[in-house]
Amino acid sequence: MFVEEIPNFLDTITGSIFLVGAITLTCVIGGVLAGYLVATFRHGPFEAFYVVSSVIAQAIPDFLRTSPRRVYAIARLAAKEAIRRRVILVTFLIFALALLFGGWFINSGVSNPEQVYVNFVLFGTQLLILMLALLISAFSLPEDIKNKTIFTIVTKPVRSTEVILGRIMGFGALCTVLLFTMALISLLFVWRGLSHQHEMVSNNDNPEAVVGSISSFNDVVTPGKAKTGRRVSANCIKELMTGLENGHRHQLEYIREVRSPDDVPPNEDSVVKKETLPDGDIVYFRVVCQPAAGHTHAVKIEQRDGESIVKLGPARGYFRARVPIYCQKVNYYSREGILKGVVERSGERKTAEGKKTKETVGINVGKQNNYRGFLDGSTALSRAEFEFQDFSDARFGGDSQKIPLELSLGVFRTHKGKIDRRIRASIQFESVQSDPNDASESFFISDPPLVFETMEYELQTLTISRKLRGRHIDANGVEISSGEFDLFDDFGANGKLKVIVRCEDAGQYIGVGLGDVYFRAEDNVYWLNFFKGYVGIWFQMMIVVTLGVVFSTFLSTPVTMLGTSCVVVLGFLSKFIRNMRAPESAGGGPIESMVRLVTQQNMVEEMEQSFATTLMKQADVVFVYCLNSLTYVAPNFGKLDFSSFLKYGYWIETDRLMVAGAASLALCFGLFVFGYFCLKTREIAG
Amino acid sequence: MASETKAAKEESVKDFKKSLETNPDYDPNIVVETQNLTKVYRDFWGRQKVRALKALDMEIRKGEIFGLLGPNGSGKSTTIKLLLGLLFPTTGRALVFGQDATEVTKNERIGYLPEESYLYKFLTAEETLDFYGRLFDMPGSVRRQRVAELIEKVGLTWAKRRQLKEYSKGMTRRIGLAQALVNDPDLILLDEPTSGLDPIGTREMKDMIIELRDQGKTVVMCSHLLADVQDVCDRIAILYQGELKELGRVDNLLQVSDQTEIRTKDLPAEAEEEIRQVLVKHGAKDISIEQPRTTLEELFLNIVRESEERPGHRMIDQREESAKQ
Ligand SMILES: Nc1ncnc2c1ncn2[C@@H]1O[C@H](COP(=O)(O)OP(=O)(O)OP(=O)(O)O)[C@@H](O)[C@H]1O
Ligand SMILES: [Mg+2]
Repeated sequence: MFVEEIPNFLDTITGSIFLVGAITLTCVIGGVLAGYLVATFRHGPFEAFYVVSSVIAQAIPDFLRTSPRRVYAIARLAAKEAIRRRVILVTFLIFALALLFGGWFINSGVSNPEQVYVNFVLFGTQLLILMLALLISAFSLPEDIKNKTIFTIVTKPVRSTEVILGRIMGFGALCTVLLFTMALISLLFVWRGLSHQHEMVSNNDNPEAVVGSISSFNDVVTPGKAKTGRRVSANCIKELMTGLENGHRHQLEYIREVRSPDDVPPNEDSVVKKETLPDGDIVYFRVVCQPAAGHTHAVKIEQRDGESIVKLGPARGYFRARVPIYCQKVNYYSREGILKGVVERSGERKTAEGKKTKETVGINVGKQNNYRGFLDGSTALSRAEFEFQDFSDARFGGDSQKIPLELSLGVFRTHKGKIDRRIRASIQFESVQSDPNDASESFFISDPPLVFETMEYELQTLTISRKLRGRHIDANGVEISSGEFDLFDDFGANGKLKVIVRCEDAGQYIGVGLGDVYFRAEDNVYWLNFFKGYVGIWFQMMIVVTLGVVFSTFLSTPVTMLGTSCVVVLGFLSKFIRNMRAPESAGGGPIESMVRLVTQQNMVEEMEQSFATTLMKQADVVFVYCLNSLTYVAPNFGKLDFSSFLKYGYWIETDRLMVAGAASLALCFGLFVFGYFCLKTREIAG
Repeated sequence: MASETKAAKEESVKDFKKSLETNPDYDPNIVVETQNLTKVYRDFWGRQKVRALKALDMEIRKGEIFGLLGPNGSGKSTTIKLLLGLLFPTTGRALVFGQDATEVTKNERIGYLPEESYLYKFLTAEETLDFYGRLFDMPGSVRRQRVAELIEKVGLTWAKRRQLKEYSKGMTRRIGLAQALVNDPDLILLDEPTSGLDPIGTREMKDMIIELRDQGKTVVMCSHLLADVQDVCDRIAILYQGELKELGRVDNLLQVSDQTEIRTKDLPAEAEEEIRQVLVKHGAKDISIEQPRTTLEELFLNIVRESEERPGHRMIDQREESAKQ
C-alpha cells in the first residue's frame, strides 16, 4: 500500500488556512465582478451597481440569520419527498440482491479473500450511495420550481440559504442512515463470508486412526518432504491437510521445536508434549496450522482416550486494524554517503539543498511511480534513514519486550541470479541527536545489523527485541562501551530513533518509500476501522449531495445530473489524468495513441513527419492540458477513498479522516455559498 | 411561553420599525406601493417576449380590500408576483410595508394564495399546515393550535388526514387558503381566490375576506369574476394588456348617476300602473317596472341550505309538482 503522506490535522489546517482564505477572497471578488458584469448587461452600469450592492447587503443577514428551525423543517420535507420517490427502496433492493448473489460469486479460493470481500462491499456501497445521492439531490429543486411549489416556500420568511442548506441536510441525513445500514450489513456480510471452520480429514493410509488424532497424520520420510510428496518445514515430523472450506485447505504440521528456557514458550494449547534436554533447553512437540488464503487457525490439542486430538479454532489473521507508527522523514544517501534528498511526512520531496521536487528522491530505476527511491546494493554508505519521533514504549503497550517492525520493500534486480532467491537487506538502529546542530552528543548504534531476505512488496514482520546488541560512541567516534542497550531507554532516550535500511546484495537495488518501514503498535478494533472506512464514502456522498443541490439551483435536472457525474468522474480520475504523461511519452498523447490504435502502428515507431502529425501532436498538448486543468476544478475523490486501508488491514488514522473531512467541509461550504447567490439572483417565477 | 413569544414579537416589531426609520417616505397606512412598475418577460437570450406590465403606479392602503381586475393575460398575476419578490421588476419599484419586495423579512406578515395551489401532494392537510407553520417564528403549541383552527375554518376537518393528491380542486384551494393564513398575516394576497370553489365555498371565501378586512387586515385579490369583485372589494384597479385603465372605489365607479331604482314588497298591480302614470307625468323616459329575478347564486344557496335542513328531500319532485298544478 502506498502511504503517500501522513497527515497531521493541526499542521495541515494551519498550513491551508491561508490558501483557503486566498481562494475565498479571489472567488468573492471574482463573483462580485462577474455579477456586476451580468447586471450591467441587463440594467446598465449605474443600476448594476445598485443591484450588486443590494444583493451583497441582503446576503449578510441571510447567512447570519439562517434559522435552524426552518432548515430543519425544509430538511424534513426534503427527506419525506425523497423517501416517496422510492429510489431509496430500489437502491436498497439492489444492494440486498448484490450481497445475496454476489456472495456466491466471490471466489473464496483466491489468495486473500478478505481483500475481495472488502473491495466488493466498499465499491458496491460507494457506487450505489453516490448514485442515489445524485438522483435525489438533482431532482428536488428543479421539480419544486417546475411544480411551482417553491412559490409557497419563498413567500414565507425563508432565506435562500435555508432552502439550500435544508435540502443538503435532509438528503444528507437520509443517505447517512442508508449508508450506515449498508455499512452494518456489509460488516455482517464480510464477517459471515470469512468466518469458517475446517473439518479434519481421515487418513486413507491409516484407516483405524481416530480422525484428527496425531496418529492419523502422514509421516515425513525425508526432512522437508512428507510421504504424500508435500513439502513441509525442516523440523516437521508428521503432516496433514485439513478439509476444504471456503475454497482452501491448511496444512497442519506436527513439529519438534527446541527453545531455550529464557525464550517465550509457545502457545500451551498447541503443545502435545514437551521434554527437557540435558542442557536445559526444552523440546516442544506441537501442531502448527500453516497459513492459507491470508489466515490461519488457532490449534487446540485435546486428550481423549490417550489420544491427542487436534481441533482448529476460528480463522485468525482476518479483521486486523494494524496501527503503524510511521517515521517523521526519510533521508536518502548515495553510495558516496552524500545526502541525496528527503521525503517529509507531508509527502513533500526535497533535494539535499532543501528545494521542493517532484522527482524520485534516491536512485530512480526507470519509468514507474516515483514513490520509492532506490538504494545501491552492498555499500555501507548508500542507505535510507527513517527518523522516528515520539518514540516511547508507552505506544507499544508499556512493558513489551518484543516490538514488531514491518517492512515492505521494492526490489529491482540488475542481474537475475537465482530468480527464486530473495534479495538480502539489513536494518540498523541509531539514536538521533536532540539538536541537529550540536554534534557533541554521544550516540548508540546497533551492531551487527539485522539482515533479512525479501521479495518485492513482500510484507516482512521483524520482531525487534527491546535489548539490542550495539555500541555507545562519543561525539568523536570513539567507542565508549559495547554490549546490550535498551531500544527505548538508550537508543530512543530523547524520543527519537533512526532506522537505517540498506541493500546487502551487490548489484541489486532495494526501493523504500515513506510508508514502507514502520513500527507496529497494538492493533485497534476492526469494526471501528470498518466504519471509519465508510466515513470516506460519507464525505464523498455529502459532496455529491451538495453538488447536486447547488447545481440544481441554476440548472435543470438532466443537466445537473450530467454536470455532477462529470465532476465526480473527474474527481475519481484526477490522479490518473494528472499522471497521464503528455504527448512526449511513448505512443504519444490520447489522440496520437488513438490514431496508432486505429492504424495499427506500434507504440515506439516515430510517426511520419507531416502537417497532420504536427497538428495531432499539438492537439494532444492542448487536450492533455485542458484535462489536467479540469482535475483541479473537481475535488480529488481519491483522497477520500480509504478502501485500501481496510483491504490491507491498516488502521485509518483519525488525523487522516479529519483532514479529509475539513477539506470536504470547505468544499461543500464554498459550493453552498455559490448556490446561494445563484438562487438569490434567480427569478423564481421567471 | 406565551409571554416569551409576545416579547419576541414586540422585539421583531421594534426591529421592523427601526428599519423603517431609515425610509423617510414610509407611511404606515400605505401597505403596498408601486412606482412605475414595469415587467418585461425575456427569453433565455434576453430577447423581449412580453411586456406584461407597463408603468404601474398605485397604492394600497391599510385595512382595505383591493381588487385587481382584467381579462386573461392582462398582468394581474404578474403584479402579485412582483409584490412578492417572485419576479424582479424590469424597471420601477414595488414596496411592501415600505420595504423592497425582495426583502425576506416582510414575508413574516404576508400570506399568499397562488393562482393554483402549489402544495406538496404527498403531505396531508395537517402536515402541510404544520410544515408551513414551522417556517415562521412561532412556538410549537401556538402552531398546533393554529393548524387545528384553520382546518376547522376552511371546513376540511373531515379530510385532514388525507394526502393532498386525493383532494378535489376546491379542497386544494381551501387548504391553500389555510396555508396563506397560517402566520396570521397583515397583508393577504389572493390570486383568484374563488376559482374552483363551489358557490358555498365562494360565499364562504367572500365572507372570510370581509371578515379579515374587519380584523384590520389588508387584502389584495385579483379575479376576472366581476360579481365576486363587486361583492367584496372596496377599491379596484382594472388592467388591460398590462396597463392600468381604471382605479377607484367600487361604489363610486359603479354608481349610474342618471338612473333611479325603486323597490317595494307586495305592490298591488293597480298601484304599479298608478306609479307608471305619475312617472310619465314627470317626464321620465325608458321606464321599466318588473319583478326582480333572484341570482342563480341565491337560488343555489337556498337549495343547499334547505337540503341540509331536510336531508333526503328532493327539490326536483317538488318543483315538478308545482309546475303540474
Ligand atoms: N413566465 C412567463 N414568461 C413569459 N411570459 C409570461 C410569463 N408569465 C406570464 N407571462 C405573460 O405575461 C402576461 C400577463 O400574464 P399574467 O399571468 O400576469 O396574466 P393574468 O392577468 O394573471 O391572467 P389570468 O387571468 O389568465 O390569470 C401574459 O401575456 C402572459 O403570457
Ligand atoms: Mg393570473
